[in-house]
Amino acid sequence: MQNTATFDENLLDMLKTITNEGFRNAADGFSGMVGRKIEVGSPTLELVPLLTIPRMVGGAEDDAVGVYLRFEGDMPGQIMMVIPYQKALELSDLLMGQPGGATQSLGSLERSALGELGNLCGSFFLNSIAKTAGASFRPSPPAVMVDMVGAILDVVVATVGGVSEHVLLVHANFHEGTRSVETDFWVIPDMRSLHNLAQKKRADDQSH
Amino acid sequence: MTNLISLGLGEQAVSRNSQDVLVAYGLGSCLGVCMIDPQARVAGLLHAVLPERTAALETNPAAHPAKYVDCGIESLLAEMLKEGALKSRIIVRMAGGANMLISPAMISAFDIGTRNIEKARETLKRLGMKITAEEVGGHKGRTVRMYVADNRVTVKLVGEKEHDL
Repeated sequence: MQNTATFDENLLDMLKTITNEGFRNAADGFSGMVGRKIEVGSPTLELVPLLTIPRMVGGAEDDAVGVYLRFEGDMPGQIMMVIPYQKALELSDLLMGQPGGATQSLGSLERSALGELGNLCGSFFLNSIAKTAGASFRPSPPAVMVDMVGAILDVVVATVGGVSEHVLLVHANFHEGTRSVETDFWVIPDMRSLHNLAQKKRADDQSH
Repeated sequence: MTNLISLGLGEQAVSRNSQDVLVAYGLGSCLGVCMIDPQARVAGLLHAVLPERTAALETNPAAHPAKYVDCGIESLLAEMLKEGALKSRIIVRMAGGANMLISPAMISAFDIGTRNIEKARETLKRLGMKITAEEVGGHKGRTVRMYVADNRVTVKLVGEKEHDL
């Protein structure tokens, strides 16, 4: 079963709006936590085959950081924030208010900061969907891993159970002043969640 | 000149060319199964994703055997035999099957890695084949390389050097 058919233009548009709002709220939330203004540029969204991901991040053997959330509820699914290792160091500098290049390795403090960012972005994204679709979610606590891209991808592949599935890829750009770091989020809704969302969208369109 | 053959998710390859190096990059919960017949100089590698083909997955036209540990091992063996290997001479080594999620809330429910390892052991036993070396489980991703020239299998972990298996 392919999910491209369910992901029509209409649904993508709806998800774009949801994502924009969700990530803006996440940046606000994070700014509040660290006491500095961290912003997020308009995230871009695209639908990509799961198998092309390692190439987009560099290669299956390249080091990266993954922050994984699973969510249960009306529309179950999973979200993985993934950042190439070097960029994760830059993002950690940004989040911790350090000068660029200060973070040389990811200790438990840096990992939990990145985990919290992934957690906030994921949760706010879900909140936006919940508001739009009237659905409820129960996200898991974030799991942070530092490993090869392929191994991080396995977490998602193993649970969706297919190699031909598509992923909603969200590129987001976090910045503070002139410093900015790009991150990717893979959003993998379960099939029935997509159907529910598409149905809801159709119902909304008809009532307007 | 070495010739790198990279195996993606759910792919397998068998080679008799001594210049070939079969590689499965960044195995997490996935399992890399290597078969070597040193006498016939045939070597193969499987990059399996899930433990077994189930009825629900069977209806998927995109599903191919190498995606699953159970039918992947059978299909790799069949290709090895076709290339002149003898089952009794085949040496099996495997690596991978890590549990990438260390979060306590998720460990048991999503531990595909352990299930992949168990299914491989069970399948190989059923086929009457022994595993001579393995580096499986744990929480780290691995790259597996199979050098056809000298039957060497190596494993590399993130931030570490490649070592022989």
